[in-house]
Amino acid sequence: MSDAGETRSSLLSAREVWKAFDRTQALSGVSFDLAAGEVHALVGANGAGKSTFSRIVSGHLACDRGDIRLSGKPVQFASAREAIRAGITMVTQETSLAPDLSVLENIYLPELGMGGRLSWRRLYARAQGLLEEFGQGGHLPLRRPLRDLSASQRQMVEILKALALDSQVIIFDEPTASFSPNEVDRLFDVMRLLVERGKALVFVSHRLEEIFEITDRITVFREGRDVARAVPTGDMTPTELVRLMVGREIADIYAHGAAPGRATSAAILEVEHLATAPRVKDVSFAVHAGEILGLAGLVGAGRSECVETVFGLRRIEGGAIRLAGKPFRPRAPIDAVRAGIGFIPEDRRRQGLVPDFSVRENLLLAHIGRHRGFGLGYERHQGDVEHLLGELGLPPRILDAGILTLSGGMQQKIVLARWILMRPDLLILDEPTRGVDIGTRSTIYAMLRRLAQRGMAVLIVSSDFEEVLGICDRVVVISDGADVTSIPSRYLDVEKLAMFAAPRSSADATHHVLERLVHAYPGAAYWIFVEGDRLYCFDLLSAEADPGLGFARGTFPRIEQTMIPQALLQRAASFAAEADGRQTLLVPIRGHRGHDLGYVGLTLAPGRATPDPEQVRRIVLAEPGRAEDAAMRAAG
Amino acid sequence: MSGEVVPRKRRRAPALRRLFRGAQLELRMLILLVLLSFGLSLISPYFFTLSNILNVMDQSVITGIVSIGQTFVILIAGIDLSVGSLTGATGIVLGLSFSVLPVPLAILCAILAGGFAGFINGFIITKGRVAAFIVTLGMMSVGRSMAYVLSGANSISQLPESLGELASSTVLGVPTNFIVLVVLYAIAWYYLTFTKGGRTIYAIGSNVEAARTAGLSVDFYSILAYVVSGALSAVAAVFLAARILSIDPIAATGLELDTIAAVVIGGASLFGGRGTIIGTFIGVLIMVLIRNGLNLLNVNPYWQGTAIGSIIVAAVLLERFLSAREAARRDDEEEG
Repeated sequence: MSDAGETRSSLLSAREVWKAFDRTQALSGVSFDLAAGEVHALVGANGAGKSTFSRIVSGHLACDRGDIRLSGKPVQFASAREAIRAGITMVTQETSLAPDLSVLENIYLPELGMGGRLSWRRLYARAQGLLEEFGQGGHLPLRRPLRDLSASQRQMVEILKALALDSQVIIFDEPTASFSPNEVDRLFDVMRLLVERGKALVFVSHRLEEIFEITDRITVFREGRDVARAVPTGDMTPTELVRLMVGREIADIYAHGAAPGRATSAAILEVEHLATAPRVKDVSFAVHAGEILGLAGLVGAGRSECVETVFGLRRIEGGAIRLAGKPFRPRAPIDAVRAGIGFIPEDRRRQGLVPDFSVRENLLLAHIGRHRGFGLGYERHQGDVEHLLGELGLPPRILDAGILTLSGGMQQKIVLARWILMRPDLLILDEPTRGVDIGTRSTIYAMLRRLAQRGMAVLIVSSDFEEVLGICDRVVVISDGADVTSIPSRYLDVEKLAMFAAPRSSADATHHVLERLVHAYPGAAYWIFVEGDRLYCFDLLSAEADPGLGFARGTFPRIEQTMIPQALLQRAASFAAEADGRQTLLVPIRGHRGHDLGYVGLTLAPGRATPDPEQVRRIVLAEPGRAEDAAMRAAG
Repeated sequence: MSGEVVPRKRRRAPALRRLFRGAQLELRMLILLVLLSFGLSLISPYFFTLSNILNVMDQSVITGIVSIGQTFVILIAGIDLSVGSLTGATGIVLGLSFSVLPVPLAILCAILAGGFAGFINGFIITKGRVAAFIVTLGMMSVGRSMAYVLSGANSISQLPESLGELASSTVLGVPTNFIVLVVLYAIAWYYLTFTKGGRTIYAIGSNVEAARTAGLSVDFYSILAYVVSGALSAVAAVFLAARILSIDPIAATGLELDTIAAVVIGGASLFGGRGTIIGTFIGVLIMVLIRNGLNLLNVNPYWQGTAIGSIIVAAVLLERFLSAREAARRDDEEEG
C-alpha cells in the first residue's frame, strides 16, 4: 500500500468508508484521495466496489460509516442533487438520458428542474460555446432528438451534461465502453483540457491501455478494500496492476500460449453479399472450423446486425448464408439453434438473462428451446453442467441462486456456458467482454481457445480492437455495412485496424480527396499505409475498373508484389517512375494530433504527362481533419 | 468481492427459511386467507357451517377455472379481458349444441369454440404485435355480441339433466365440480413447473428478448396461453350452465375483473414472469371469501363493489411495497 497521495493536497478525500447491502459487505473501509488537476484511475475487478464507492461519493448511495471530505470539509450527501450542488458529478455508463428530448434539452436536463423561465436561445448559445470549447463543434446535432444518436454520441451527451454543470469533481464510470479508438482520443483531449483547468477527474475503466495513457495516479480496489492507494501511474506496470486487481498473476490474458486452433478448409459459415436494413449493405465472409474470426469495426458499422441476421433475429433482405455448405435461411433463432449455432448477445441484461430464473434455469435456457420432449430434460445435462462450471471456475452451489445475485462477469460465464452445453458448430459472441473484469476475461478467452481447438468455429464481434487482435486468428473489418478486408490478425495492429475501420462513405474526407484526385487526373488514387515490406490499402478509387496496381482496397500485399515498387521504396516528394512507365506520387498525411496516417497516392498510367506535384499535394492537404473526424461522424 | 469463487458472502439459510423465501408471497397470501376465514368465523357463526363451506366451494369453481387461463396469460405479460364474454358466448354455443349433439360432443364443441377465440386473440397479439389489452378488449365486445346474436337475446333453458350431474353430484361429500377445479389446478401447476412449455411461458414473461435469443418458441407458447384461457372460459361455461341448467347471454359479465384480481392477489406481476398457480388458487379463495363474508354480514350489495375494489387495490399496493423493497435490495447488491 502506498501513501504517495498524502503529498498532494486533497480536493476530495475519503477515509474508512464502509457499506453493506443486506449481508453483503461491498466496501470494507476503503480510502481514496483525489487532487485537483489530476486524472485518477479507480480500477478493480467486477464487484470490487468501484461502482458502490463512486455512487456514495456522488450522492446516489449513503455509506454506513466513513469520513468523506471535500476541500477539507466533511460532507454527507443525501442525494445526487446535493452532490452536484457541491460540485461532484458522475458520468454513468448506463445513460440516464431522455430519448425523446433533443440533445440540447438533455444537456441542460438539470436546469429543467430549477425554477424560473428558460431561454432556449440562451441555452443553445451556451451549448454551442461548450461544444466549441471542448473541440466537439459539429459532432453533435443539438436540435435532433437523442434517439437518433449512436451509443457513443449519447455517451458524449452524458459527458457534456456533466461539463455543463461545471463540477469540480467528475467521475467517469467506464466512459469509453462504446467508443472507437478515435473517439477515445477525442475524449482524452477533453479530459486533458479539464485537468488543465484544475478539475479533478476519476476514471473508472477496464481497459488497461487507456488507464496508462490518461491517468496520473491509480487506486486499486479488490473485494471492497483499497489494495493500492494513489500510486503514480508511472510507477506501475500493467502486469503489476493486473496482479493487484485479481490477486493473482495473469501472464497473458489472451491465452497466446495455447496453440491456435487448426483451421481446416471446411467452412462452417459462409455469408455472401448479405444485406439487412438499415445497416448491413453488402457483407461477405466465411468462418472455418477451428478458427476464431473477429468482426471488427466501429459501433454502428453493422456488425451486430450482421450476426443477428445469421442467428435469425433479423430478416435477410439480400445475399445468401450457407451453413456447412448448405443454403441456410433462418426465420427465427430456434432454426439457428437447431442448425448448430450458439449466440451470446451484446446486451446481456436485455437479450441474455431471464431475471426471474435461477442460475440453473438460465444455464439450461437454450436446452429448453432445443429440447423436443414435453418435460424439462434437465437431468440429461447434469454431468456436463458440473464439468462446465468447473472449467469456468464457478462453484456448483451457485446453481440454485437467483441469476441477478451474480456479478456481471459470472453472469456472462453462465450465458457462455448455456451455449457451450449445446455443443454448437459455430459460436457467435457479440461484445463478449463488455463490462467484464480482466480475470473473467482471461477465463473466457482461454475457454474460447479450447473450443476452437476442439474444432468449433468462433465468431466474435468486438469494438475493443486490442481484444480483437489478441484473441482472433483472423479479422474481417466491417465499415459502413460492407466488409472491407479479411486479414490474419498477426499482420495488424490497433492503428491499422482503426484505419481499415474508418468509414468509406463519400462524406469521409479522405475518400473525398481521392474522388477529387481521380476527377482531376486520369489515374488511380488510393490511401495506403506502408510498414516494413508490406503495403496496406485502405481505400482505392480509379477511373478504370481495374487499374492493375497489384493491390486493391482491403489488401495487404508485399511491396514487390505490387506494380509500383519503386515509388513505395523511395516515397519521394516527386513523381517516381516504374520500369513500365507508370508514374506515382505519394503524399504523407497526418491526423489532427499529428500522428501518421500513411499516404494518399496517385498513379498515372504509362505515357501520361507528369502533373505538378505541388498541385496534387495541395488537393490532398486541402482537407483538414480527415479520417479522424470522419470516423467520429460515421459512428452516428 | 471474492467474485471468482463465491457469489455472495451469505450464510446458507436453513432449509425451511429457503423454502419460504421461494414462496414468500404465497405464504403471505395464505396467512391472509387464514386470517380472513378466522375473522369471518368470529363475526358470523354461520361461516363454518357445512352448507356455507359447500357454498364457498361452489362459488369458487367458475372464477377458479377461468383464473387458470388468466394466470397463463398474465405470466407472459399479457392480459385477457375477453374471458367473461367468452364464457357467455361459449355458454350459448353449448346450449345450442345440445339440440343437435350428445352432451360430451356439445361440451367439446364449446371448448373448441373458446379455444378458437383464444387463438384469434393470441395470433393477433403475437404476430400482429398489437397490445393484448386492445385485442382482448375487442374480443370482449365481439364475444358478448355473438352471445346475443346466437341466442336471439334469450336465455336457453331446459338443458339436459345429465349436465346437472356436474354441479349437483359429490364424491365423498365433496362437490364434483370442486374436485374438477382442484384437478385442473394440479395439472396447471405441474405444467407450469415441470415442463418445457411451462418454463418457456415464465421465460417469455420475464424477458421475451432473452427467451427469443435462446431459441425458445416464443410465438407458439404466447399463442398457447391465450388458447388455454379461451378454452378454460368454455369449461367454466359448462359448469355455469350445469348449475341451473340454463344459460343466459349476459352470463359471466365482469368475470374478467374477478379473475385478474384473483391472479394479482395471488402474487403474479402484471409485467409477467412472476406468479404461481398456487398463488392464484389462494387469490380465488380470498376473492370468494370476501364476497361470501360481505353477504354473511348483510352488507348492502350496492356497497359490496366498493369494498371489494378497495380490498384488491390495498392488497396489491401492499404487495408492490414489499416487492419494491426486495427489488431495491437486489439492485443494490448487483452494483459494486
